[in-house]
Amino acid sequence: MSPDENPENMSRRDEMEALLPFYLNGTLEAADLAAVEDWLATDPAALAALEEAEAEFSGTSAANQAIRPPADALSRFSAALDAEAGVERVASPSLLSRLWAGFMAIPAGVAWAAATAAVVLVLVQAVMEPGGRGGPIEIAGTEAANMPFALVTFKPDARIADISAVLSGQGAVILAGPAAGGVFKIGIPAKTAADYERIVGLIAAQPFAETVSAGRKPANGG
Amino acid sequence: MVSPVAATSAAQQTDRELVERVAGGDRAAVRLLFMRHHARVYRFAARQTGSELMADDITNEVFLELWRQAPAFQGRSEVSTWLLGIARFKALSALRKRKEEAIDEDEAAAIPDTGDTPEVAVMKDDKATALKRMVNALPEEHRTVIDLAYYHAKSVVEIAEVLQIPVATVKTRMFYARKKLGEALQAAGFERGWP
Repeated sequence: MSPDENPENMSRRDEMEALLPFYLNGTLEAADLAAVEDWLATDPAALAALEEAEAEFSGTSAANQAIRPPADALSRFSAALDAEAGVERVASPSLLSRLWAGFMAIPAGVAWAAATAAVVLVLVQAVMEPGGRGGPIEIAGTEAANMPFALVTFKPDARIADISAVLSGQGAVILAGPAAGGVFKIGIPAKTAADYERIVGLIAAQPFAETVSAGRKPANGG
Repeated sequence: MVSPVAATSAAQQTDRELVERVAGGDRAAVRLLFMRHHARVYRFAARQTGSELMADDITNEVFLELWRQAPAFQGRSEVSTWLLGIARFKALSALRKRKEEAIDEDEAAAIPDTGDTPEVAVMKDDKATALKRMVNALPEEHRTVIDLAYYHAKSVVEIAEVLQIPVATVKTRMFYARKKLGEALQAAGFERGWP
């Protein structure tokens, strides 16, 4: 047994010090939580110890967050995933997959109308960069069948946080995708044609946007 | 437009629900899980291996493993804990493989440090910066329990699962890790009440 595996010489305070990180991260079970709280309430040195642990918490978070994942991680992973086998285990393809498959097989004008009318999933997924940077990207199949939309592809080095900030700032949502060629269908919350052009133009002007094609525009044409 | 109510409901789709979708062959669900967890998995792998190149490969492999193994996931642990366990296994395997090969210094691409000697670094450190550096300098087995508790918010039991060690060992490793941090702070001239 190495010294690290021998708890025999740990004092009461040592035990509490060992539990403080788990007190701070909120994962202590009831008995340990009660013991730590009792210690914090009765030992004058305990609050100083808690402050030390909080400083370690900050230092550890900073050390981890200083490591930046590659910007193109998602696109490279997607390519690797697409190369993986998997059809043999798919008893029932997802509704979204079937819609996409059907969409890609029929003329575009007809397909989009059919797809937007049929999508009933509501899958809004908050995608947050750990550490709280950036806002949520809404990835939404929608019951809003008549929602205006545009077709967008993103550059390989596009950052999730940047896309999130722009889409959420405009109330736009990802309705579906990526389809073949990396095309995403972006719902545009526009009531008039002018609104639609403004929002689509703003997305097209972003450094992360590779191609932007107009899709369904607001029904009133305003 | 998605209503706020619908958005809230769907945003709460859990990792486990997504894994169920993955088990059914839904690649979009894998991508969602990748977006949720890849940064933390990448950082964990980078800390384990000391190499961002290796971390990149390991992270991709972890999520491909998720795709392959999702049907076998029994939901006994959190998905994030499961992913970190896979990452730990793959990191150890990669390190073993690297040991067997000649280490190409250029390829190592270690996580950059300040470039200062410890003495110079201490002189210009504030306590927060010093702690960050001291956490980085901990032995791997100590730094890992610190990372898993403070950054990954894992419990004693979850850390035991990721590292495949007894629960009591997690507590004693945490004790010694924090003790070493305290001693390092004191040696650098910062006040510390314990040890």
